Amino acid sequence: MDLLQPSDSALISLYLAGQESAFAILLERHRSRVFTTILLIVRDEEVAEDLLQDTFIKAIHTLKSGRYNEEGKFAPWICRIAHNLAIDSFRRGKRVPHVSLTDNDRLASSLTIADDGPDDIMAREETHNHLRALIQELPAAQKEVLLMRHYGDMSFQEIADATGVSINTALGRMRYALINLRKKMTANSQYYDPNITPFDPVTLCVQRAAS
Amino acid sequence: MIQILPHSTLLRYVYNELPADERRGVEEALLHDSELATACADLLLAQRTLDGLRREPRRAATDAILQYSRTFLAR
Repeated sequence: MDLLQPSDSALISLYLAGQESAFAILLERHRSRVFTTILLIVRDEEVAEDLLQDTFIKAIHTLKSGRYNEEGKFAPWICRIAHNLAIDSFRRGKRVPHVSLTDNDRLASSLTIADDGPDDIMAREETHNHLRALIQELPAAQKEVLLMRHYGDMSFQEIADATGVSINTALGRMRYALINLRKKMTANSQYYDPNITPFDPVTLCVQRAAS
Repeated sequence: MIQILPHSTLLRYVYNELPADERRGVEEALLHDSELATACADLLLAQRTLDGLRREPRRAATDAILQYSRTFLAR
């Protein structure tokens, strides 16, 4: 953790004291994980943005009304709100799910952050599109844990508490989710990244520490 | 070498959920256990692949949230 960055808890305190800029930092910090969590459930970018707004509006109401539990962590709390709203929305099914892969803004954004050529970007988008589809095929319980842990930044214990299972069950679901994804990716090898080579154990430690 | 660490421990390791002493134990084991290292590599590969799916909302969406917050403050 970067010690120069204020904690979520500190930002909330500043926000409640009237510092709107603290909320802006909080939003900037969590918007990607919340948005991705929602998007992988509803599969519609416009709906996901609406739900992102609903999520943070709920958070604003809770914070401003003094009902936020300081003992909890902000990240799992906001992602839990997002997850519930996304699930509700998806079940209502008012809109046909689709993920726009040709959105000019997003493509332009990709181009500005990557040095790869258009073919590389297209190939990566194709891989990601396929992976999104594979995630949708996971059993609901596995998908739930995967989204909460990887994108929602909830710990396995927090997921266990939120979903009413033991931590071992949550860990087991995550394990099988990853195994299933790997199997599906390998079965569709044209989508599998050919650049991955076996890891050296020493390198592994360095990579993980840097993540 | 026989893999003695459960997958749940590896999962918690790659997601930075292990306490320091357990983390050091896993890293020591990785140096001497190629099967364990391969299993860990698979998890890290999966993490990296999933990271590629992260998306950002449009600026307009977050601007609207900030605007709502400012308006809410004024009520």
